[in-house]
Amino acid sequence: MKRQEIIAKALAVPQMPMPVQKIMSIINDPDATMLQLARFIEYEPGLTVNLLRMANSAFFGGHGDVTTVKDAIMRLGMQRVYQMVLASGVAPFARYEIKGYGLPPGQLLEHSAALAVASEQLAGELGLTPPPHTFTAGLLVNIGKVVLGAFLAVNAEPIMELAYSQGIPFEKAERAVLGIDHGELGALLLEHWKLPEPIVYVVRHRLDPDAAPVRDLALDLVHAGDVIAKMTGIGLGYDGMHYAPSETVFARLGLTAEVMERVMESAIEHFSEIRDILLGKE
Amino acid sequence: MEIVVGISDMRVTTRANHILVTHSLGSCLGLVVFDPGAGVGGLIHCLLPMAREAREGKSLNPCMYVNTGVPHMIKAMYAKGAKRERMVIKAAGCGRMMNVSNSFDTGAANLAALHKLLDHNHLRLSGSDVGGSIPRTVRLYMDSGRVLISSCGKSWEI
Repeated sequence: MKRQEIIAKALAVPQMPMPVQKIMSIINDPDATMLQLARFIEYEPGLTVNLLRMANSAFFGGHGDVTTVKDAIMRLGMQRVYQMVLASGVAPFARYEIKGYGLPPGQLLEHSAALAVASEQLAGELGLTPPPHTFTAGLLVNIGKVVLGAFLAVNAEPIMELAYSQGIPFEKAERAVLGIDHGELGALLLEHWKLPEPIVYVVRHRLDPDAAPVRDLALDLVHAGDVIAKMTGIGLGYDGMHYAPSETVFARLGLTAEVMERVMESAIEHFSEIRDILLGKE
Repeated sequence: MEIVVGISDMRVTTRANHILVTHSLGSCLGLVVFDPGAGVGGLIHCLLPMAREAREGKSLNPCMYVNTGVPHMIKAMYAKGAKRERMVIKAAGCGRMMNVSNSFDTGAANLAALHKLLDHNHLRLSGSDVGGSIPRTVRLYMDSGRVLISSCGKSWEI
């Protein structure tokens, strides 16, 4: 199976979850009001529960006092709420077993939660304001692995062999074997689903941010957050830590070893809270 | 029976039917200590080399750091009858991202913190499987003291 066939199948197989389709129509309507957004979310019990749990989570600084969707919007802002709804609509895709990539059920979601937490927390540690889509983009950067490993049943063994024996980063080995890497494939899927362009941009470039045409803070944060999540080991598959971080990005962010360690601690502390919300677990 | 040791956690046991296991070793250190004479075994999964000053004031989980976690586990093993002269010590994990510079190589820092601690106490490693970019799972079989590393669908003993 090669590039064109993979892309065609990837775009045909997984359907965009219905609540995400609906929310996209609201996001893309410039005249949509806060009230319309609140009403839409309230009609979707699953989304409402997830949104309230996220708004009240320790990670997002909640204290359990957000009890309605309107409260959540007032407190977090429409942008943040859009992002949380997108996250809770799409991220559960990562709960599948991704056999060919050595990921038992739930493991990639665990990794994605750690990555999103690390990306967001990193901004806080560096005194930066993360763009609102940072967390959601972090949750979605590995969606291409779900498509390759779960929907298209790609066996990553030859990719792994090539990457480890030749000492080349995993995504380059994916490109050599499949003609495409999981980052680009994930971006194509999200683009096909018409997810906001800033999210697609991060998903497309997070493995090689130095090659991205435009500098982007969310991309830098997610790139570094990905590295930090991998180092913690949470939810790693066969590809392990076989990726080359960009120290240009580290320098641009002002990342130090000490900040990195603090964010690792924070990821350990918070990833399970976010994972459980996305899994709908108590 | 498998006993799972989480990140920044440890377990000490004297039961021969136990298998202590930790998954998800990225740059973390997984340290196995076994005393075949007393039948006492321990496994710890440390995230970072040492607690930094800036973090003081926060409630500290000693198992999170090599410099506090490893002595913590060895003391717990002494309390169950382990003797230092019989202890077999093996290390796993301490991996790194590809081409990462030394200052961001937490795996190497974890290993250096362990060596410092062992040297200071005149102890040595009997086996190790460390470094590189592979993820690792480590198991200690209490019935034999066997230590098994698993990664990418393969397993080997150290």
